[in-house]
Amino acid sequence: LSPEPTSLLQGTLDLLILKSLIAGEMHGLGISRRIQQITSGTFAVKPGSLFPALHRMEEEGWISSFWGDSENNRRAKYYRLTKPGLKQLQVETKRWGRISWAIAQALEAS
Amino acid sequence: MPLFVKARSFLRNLFLSRRVEADLDQEVHSHLEMLIAENIRAGMPPHEAQRAARIELGGVEQVKEQVRDSRTGAFLDSLLQDFRFALRQLRRSPGFALTAVLILALGIAANVIVFGVLQALVLRQLDVPHADQVMTLQPKDGGPFVSNPEMRDVRDDNTVFSAVAAYEFQDFGLEANGVTRPVWGCAVSGQYFEVVGIKPFLGRLLGRDDDDHPGASDAAVISWSAWQSDFGGDPNVVGTMVRINKHPYTIVGVTQEGFHGTEKIAQLDIFVPMANEASLDGFSWLESRSYRNLFSVVRMKDGVTMPQVQAELNTITARIARQYPKEEEGLALKVARPGMIGDFIGGPARGFLAGVMGLAGIVLLAACANLGSLFAARTADRAREIAIRMAIGSSRWRVLRQLLVEAFVISILGGACACGLAWMALTGLAGWHPPTRYPLNLLFAMPQPSLILMAFLISVLAGVVFGLMPLRQIFKTDPNEAIKSGGSQTSAGRRWALRDVLLAAQIALCCVTVTAAFVSLRGLGKALTMDLGFNPKNALLTQFDLSQAAYTGDAADHFQRQLLERTSQIPGVEAAGYANTTPLSGDASVAAVFSQQSADFRPSNKAFEIYYYDVSPGYLAASGTPLLAGRDVSFTDTVKTPPVAIVNQEFARRLFHSEHAVGRYFKNGDGVSIQIAGIVADGKYFTTSEDQEPAAFFPISQKANTSTALIVRTRRDTADMVAAIRGVILDLDRAVPIRELGPWNNQLALSFFPIQVATVALGIFGAFGLLLSIAGTFGLASYTVSKRLRELSIRVALGAQAKQILSAALGRMLILLASGSVVGMLLGMAASRLLSAIVYQASVQDPFVLAAVAFTTVLTGALSVAGPVRRVLHADPATLLREQ
Repeated sequence: LSPEPTSLLQGTLDLLILKSLIAGEMHGLGISRRIQQITSGTFAVKPGSLFPALHRMEEEGWISSFWGDSENNRRAKYYRLTKPGLKQLQVETKRWGRISWAIAQALEAS
Repeated sequence: MPLFVKARSFLRNLFLSRRVEADLDQEVHSHLEMLIAENIRAGMPPHEAQRAARIELGGVEQVKEQVRDSRTGAFLDSLLQDFRFALRQLRRSPGFALTAVLILALGIAANVIVFGVLQALVLRQLDVPHADQVMTLQPKDGGPFVSNPEMRDVRDDNTVFSAVAAYEFQDFGLEANGVTRPVWGCAVSGQYFEVVGIKPFLGRLLGRDDDDHPGASDAAVISWSAWQSDFGGDPNVVGTMVRINKHPYTIVGVTQEGFHGTEKIAQLDIFVPMANEASLDGFSWLESRSYRNLFSVVRMKDGVTMPQVQAELNTITARIARQYPKEEEGLALKVARPGMIGDFIGGPARGFLAGVMGLAGIVLLAACANLGSLFAARTADRAREIAIRMAIGSSRWRVLRQLLVEAFVISILGGACACGLAWMALTGLAGWHPPTRYPLNLLFAMPQPSLILMAFLISVLAGVVFGLMPLRQIFKTDPNEAIKSGGSQTSAGRRWALRDVLLAAQIALCCVTVTAAFVSLRGLGKALTMDLGFNPKNALLTQFDLSQAAYTGDAADHFQRQLLERTSQIPGVEAAGYANTTPLSGDASVAAVFSQQSADFRPSNKAFEIYYYDVSPGYLAASGTPLLAGRDVSFTDTVKTPPVAIVNQEFARRLFHSEHAVGRYFKNGDGVSIQIAGIVADGKYFTTSEDQEPAAFFPISQKANTSTALIVRTRRDTADMVAAIRGVILDLDRAVPIRELGPWNNQLALSFFPIQVATVALGIFGAFGLLLSIAGTFGLASYTVSKRLRELSIRVALGAQAKQILSAALGRMLILLASGSVVGMLLGMAASRLLSAIVYQASVQDPFVLAAVAFTTVLTGALSVAGPVRRVLHADPATLLREQ
């Protein structure tokens, strides 16, 4: 296991899920592993956070779900990005850019 | 768009919850399986792979619960769960649920019923267009009556009213289709229907032209209900000829449905122009300023304020008083709300209803205190359950919400039952016909849908009040402690708990209602046995007005004498006599009395005012009015002989400071000297609760009157005698409409009506208060005993005496009972002062009342702790200690 995964910041989880779904439709475990991969193991999303987030985002209409077969022929629930979801991703990305710039500025100040 | 998506998922969560649940379950399980498969691929042994996967997942149920919490409508969902749990809890303890619902139902019903009557009588406006502009004018002090010239002056001089009208209640002899029946109606002045502002259902209403001068019009308007009942809803009723008091009238219109005059409690069925009153009444009062017999009703112009109205009234009345100093001295009018004869009945009724509303509130508060302590005890019993729920992560708020939901369910159930009860009671009241010849109409009490809202609001409020009582207990709960001590707090019944205070408060409140009930019961008892100054037992009363059969002056006198002569000959008649009206009949004539030395007959110079009656010889004997000195009136007292009067003791005392008044003189308002011929015993004249009033009886042969009240004292069976009297009257003239014929007591029932209503209302509250205090005391006593039974049985085993055990177990209960009762009785005494206004001689210092309240309190206290006491004394230590 990777050393001490940083706990996810509030609000970043949505962004990471949206971002990981850009690559295409995915089931819960897939999303979890994808996030681990794109953050080089910095973030490990536990199912206890992942599933509530997925269901909430589906209710917001950012993602949609359907049942399909997994790589080893198990039934799994797949999620895909919707048009509002894509828009939300852009909004969140911009917001995150502002925040990280601001934090960086704050840390560089002496 | 997102809103639509959200709404869709909300509805899906709500209605397809089973499918949503199955979906979630499958998703989490498939996730788990994929994790296991991944671990196996990574080379773990199957057993180890499963364990690692489960650890990473963190528990299937927990994940599912977290998802549920994040859903739209999660709050509603868990609330629904709370409701289901609450219902299950109540089903598990039906005794508790039933008691709680019943207590609350009674408490809320009392409030809703009283509020219903209050709303109908006081809060709701008359059912006419723009009712907020309709007001009534009445003298600032004294009765509600005004005279016709006064109203005419106000009508002609004011700038603030768009219409001013006066009216008089009258019972008419209505002859239609060959039958004469007595009908209550109104003689109304020209602008009456302008003030009222209603539309006719058929034809037209009366207007200014109809009232222009005597005989201007023979038009009559009937009410919708009279049209239905007396004319069978005949669509061609307009134009029908009828005879009113023998005079021909034409029905020109029917009022709209629901209109029955401008007094809420009266059902008036016919309206005729007031200009014709001389022909209807037999004498004219239209131009008399001092003959005040009219009610008034006015409509204010748009945008006129009350101070403006009052200022203008003051100017007008001051001018009238200057112009007519003899009749109008000190005239002052005020504006009052219409519908209850202004402030005359409205004032006392409002006061009484406010008092009863207060009592109802007290009862509800006591019920809440009762339920609160029940809830507190229940919460204490459930300490273990609550502790476990907190231990596994339930928030205090969630636990509190659960208890509140339970309280809410009980209060809503109670409120629903209360609604049903109140509905039945009010419908019953509306359909009830009080024993009276007056056209009382209680339809106003018909329950309105708004009462449901009221019941709901009261229920929710009550639910919150008693539901929040265990609040402190919950926030104090330490899961660790509660579970260790096994849920039975050893401290129960040792420290003073909230429920102890609640019990004392509740007993105090119930004591108030009990005291009020006893005070009014005592008052009723006194009223029923009090000396009325006459004896209505074994006496028959016959009432009619000869003007309704077109008799006047001498003709009426002749008829009455014949009637008296022939009635006296009926076998079984002990005494007979007649008068214009009788005491406590509801109508009373009032006149000013001046001393013999007076030369100035302005009202302010009067000695006092008296109730007076015009009576025939034999009336005093027939009515059982004791003649203490002097002589009865005689038919030899005529207009040609000097005027005489018989006065009561109070009259003599006030005028001469002595009861030896026979042969002395006084003067009436016209300055005529009248000699006192006899003295009769004091009595009651207008109401049973009045202070002693002076009264006088004048010979009717000196002042003929068409209004006739025949009193016959009889030894014979009532029904026979009624038939015989009716026969005599009809034999003399078939056209006389008999208003009333029956035992005198029947008519007097109306006089005792208010006090009976008061007693019944207060009695119900008293009984309910007792019930509550028994339930509360019993509940807490048995709870305390059951909590401490183990400890007590150890004491018994160690040799404690019964007395010691009792004082240990229930000593505190007795302190609570005693202190609660004392406080309650003091409060009750303070509150009962208000009662003296309605209830005759209702005194709180009455030793009978005090003893009765004390006795009742002790008795109920003893009754309610008897069960628990038995349980303590019969406790068998051996069995008990083995069991626990």
